Amino acid sequence: MKDDFEPTIIGFLCRWCSYAGADLAGTSRLQYPPSMLPIRVMCSSRVDPVFIITAFLRGADAVLVAGCHPGDCHYIEGNYYTRRRFACLRKIFETLGMESDRIRLSWISASEGPRFAQVVTDYTDKIKKLGPNPAKKEIFL
Amino acid sequence: MSKVLRISKGAEQGVQELLKFLLESGKVKGVLTLTKINNNGAVDYSLITNSEMLKDALPLFPLMPANAGKLLSRFTLKSALAEPIAVVVKPCELRAFIELVKREQGSLENFLFISSTCDGVYPLEISSNGEVAKKLSKYWDAVKKGDIAPDIRPTCSCCKYFLPYNADITIALIGENIDKECKIFLTTEKGKKSVEGMKGQLVEGELKTQEVKNLLNKREENKKKLFDNPALMQDGLSGLIETFGRCIGCHGCSRVCPICYCTLCTFDSKDYENEPSTYETELKKRGGMRVPPNTILYHIGRLTHIGISCVGCGMCTDVCPVDIPLSTIFLKVGGEVQQTFNYIPGKSVEEKVPLTIFEKEELTEVED
Amino acid sequence: MKGAILKIENSIEKTIIEFLKKGLDKKLFDVVLIPVKVPAGDSYAWVLVQDKALLEDANPLPPVMLVQGAKALSSITRRGKSNKKIAAIMRPCEIRASIELSKLQQIDLENICLISIDCPGALPLKDYLEDTKKGIDTFKKVIKEWGNESVRPICQMCDKSVGLSIQSDLHIGIFGAKNNEIYLIPSSQKGKSILEEIGIPAEESMDNWEKKTKEFVETRKKNRKKIQSTLSEKVMGLDNLLETFSNCINCHNCQSVCPICYCRQCYFESEKMKLSSDDYLIRAESKGILRFLPDTLLFHLGRMTHMSLSCVGCGACEDACPMSIKVAQIFSIVGDRSQKVFNYIPGKSIEESLPLKVYEEDEFHDVEKP
Ligand code: SF4
Ligand code: SF4
Ligand code: SF4
Ligand code: SF4
Ligand code: SF4
Ligand code: SF4
Ligand code: FES
Repeated sequence: MKDDFEPTIIGFLCRWCSYAGADLAGTSRLQYPPSMLPIRVMCSSRVDPVFIITAFLRGADAVLVAGCHPGDCHYIEGNYYTRRRFACLRKIFETLGMESDRIRLSWISASEGPRFAQVVTDYTDKIKKLGPNPAKKEIFL
Repeated sequence: MSKVLRISKGAEQGVQELLKFLLESGKVKGVLTLTKINNNGAVDYSLITNSEMLKDALPLFPLMPANAGKLLSRFTLKSALAEPIAVVVKPCELRAFIELVKREQGSLENFLFISSTCDGVYPLEISSNGEVAKKLSKYWDAVKKGDIAPDIRPTCSCCKYFLPYNADITIALIGENIDKECKIFLTTEKGKKSVEGMKGQLVEGELKTQEVKNLLNKREENKKKLFDNPALMQDGLSGLIETFGRCIGCHGCSRVCPICYCTLCTFDSKDYENEPSTYETELKKRGGMRVPPNTILYHIGRLTHIGISCVGCGMCTDVCPVDIPLSTIFLKVGGEVQQTFNYIPGKSVEEKVPLTIFEKEELTEVED
Repeated sequence: MKGAILKIENSIEKTIIEFLKKGLDKKLFDVVLIPVKVPAGDSYAWVLVQDKALLEDANPLPPVMLVQGAKALSSITRRGKSNKKIAAIMRPCEIRASIELSKLQQIDLENICLISIDCPGALPLKDYLEDTKKGIDTFKKVIKEWGNESVRPICQMCDKSVGLSIQSDLHIGIFGAKNNEIYLIPSSQKGKSILEEIGIPAEESMDNWEKKTKEFVETRKKNRKKIQSTLSEKVMGLDNLLETFSNCINCHNCQSVCPICYCRQCYFESEKMKLSSDDYLIRAESKGILRFLPDTLLFHLGRMTHMSLSCVGCGACEDACPMSIKVAQIFSIVGDRSQKVFNYIPGKSIEESLPLKVYEEDEFHDVEKP
């Protein structure tokens, strides 16, 4: 049963690095699962944790936030804030006993097409093992 | 050790006199304190400028009709105080105000902060049905003994920060002989200056007495019990739905929360209203959907917004029409977040809110 | 007056749900908006139900009013009409609030079929939550004995709870029904055709039900007068009002749960209400003391001027008040009086304009100074 499960991963990708990385993975014809729905954001720090929760509760099996490597943010320090907010959200997920594996933060630069493909492949595998997000069928959200 | 002004009168009367002195000597222009609103037991904060009106002041009353941190923010949001004002507030109210000041929602300027060692406050429900009066003698007994006062707000019974941070003047209550004497600790220079000329005995004293330490331990234990109680909340999404399922979305919890300062909460804004088409998509997925939407989103969202600064004041629980133990949950989850950043909300105004700063080398464990 | 008769199977609730299921099966509507028991089992939430299976836990007449139904409906159609046909089954005051909200352009009634139901009242939220199992038992009694006094005070004086005093598409009569039947009375073409399609055209006489409900309404009207006049003495007048709201903590729960107060941002929470520190001090100095926050009464009186013409007396505000202030009862007194001035009954008819949106050139000279 779990084998047929094709996860949906929402990816908030920063325009300058990770989205470009995804582009590169595409144009280089790298193989990776079609599980990710990318959403382009100007910077990883544009992602209010509430966006992540929204995607999660709407039924995304996982949410990936990806941005430039620390030190490389187009807006100098945006991704350092992202990391703190993400740590905060992770802690909240953990304390509430929610599957914190369903949210992920990764740094992928514009030149890292292969890394992008790898991240998506690995994450998809991991989520496949986790199974579908229980929020998908939930009525009382 | 710090300087103490000792007055040989009961604590309540002592504070009354302090306030009177401050007003009449012109050291402050006004006093913000809890006061009697009428003869039927209603108590609320008032700003008093005429010392005669102090007769209705109840500065140490164990009730929190509003978190005063929120009121002080309202007071100084548009402009800082031009003249000195003394305020008598509970430690968590002061902490909340400090958090608000860090968020540029108020200014510390010209405030003289008077607080006390705090044994907690009663749920507001008890005041609305007129039962506080019946409980007061038991309350003060507990204070004298340094016990957890019975029937107080759950988060008060496990609050570790009942020794105020940032007070200029701290009234010692816990474990003290408050019927006979009032110990006014002058914890800052400003505090010392403000009582110059007031009658009393200037001595040295220690605020962190054995009784205070004991109460801290009792509360720690209580906290464990409260947080680990499986009835509080079960793990995971289903646990959240069990606990918050009865929420009616009044958002009273955010309106009374001192940390939630937004004039229009995100979750009341247009951004979180659904288009009719959204319902169609959701129905396709689920076959049914709770409306109004976003109950769980609101609560997790609020946790991400203010968990880092929750002072555990208990206002949210009190205001909830469906009795969800909000403050316990927020303090528990918020406390974990605070620990991640080694942060005590309201401890110091210099310390920035962790989410507004960063270090270059940190938290690599959350990256994948 | 004609209607259809349904034999009660199991219980009134189940019979209504079976009826709704038929409607879904026959695609007379695509979704049902109805209270459903939450997973914890201790409460009810409005659920848009498309999948029939969810109706198993639905309850068209829950013992308490959690979210006012009009608010739920508004959350769906505030941004535009629903493309799906929705059958919304609600208490009469919720239907009336929905009509008001549609006039205020906060609900789009296109594609909505409003189904009202004779209402025995709802338990006070506080009483119910103290012991929800007991609450459910109490409510069973309430449905049997119309006029039971365990319901909210505002319900005890509600004179539009039964009968056809409201404008829905279809009304479910359960008042005075003989033990084994309930009535379905269409009041619009929509309602009529639903019954026809289901195969129970409205052909039976409802005169007996109508007569009984009218009698009941008359006793309720008297009750309303009595309760209101006793309360009036205690709460009206400036001093009394100050006293009444002395416990108010300004949480504005009453406003946020009120179906008629639809503003995303209430005026009384807006920037306009925030003064400079000097202004607060000046106000304090004029009397030597200023309750802080000030303007509690301004909020309540202001709210009355904004919405009392449309107050449907649903009691949501009172249920949500953490300080047990009799908000709904007070608002209903003021509402009744102001509504009378314009001869306006909120939620009675969708055609009637909101009184403050229309005027006549020659009227109300009595309020003008000579
Ligand atoms: S106060 Fe209670 S009912 Fe209101 S929004 Fe908060 S949790 Fe929900
Ligand atoms: S979340 Fe609740 S307990 Fe925490 S600060 Fe806000 S009102 Fe106080
Ligand atoms: S929940 Fe968030 S948006 Fe709403 S008032 Fe609190 S901090 Fe502001
Ligand atoms: S009181 Fe007035 S401004 Fe406030 S929500 Fe109600 S109608 Fe709107
Ligand atoms: S004021 Fe109270 S009783 Fe009137 S419509 Fe609003 S919530 Fe209902
Ligand atoms: S709900 Fe009650 S306490 Fe809150 S503002 Fe309204 S009357 Fe005041
Ligand atoms: S621009 Fe890429 S993370 Fe900020």
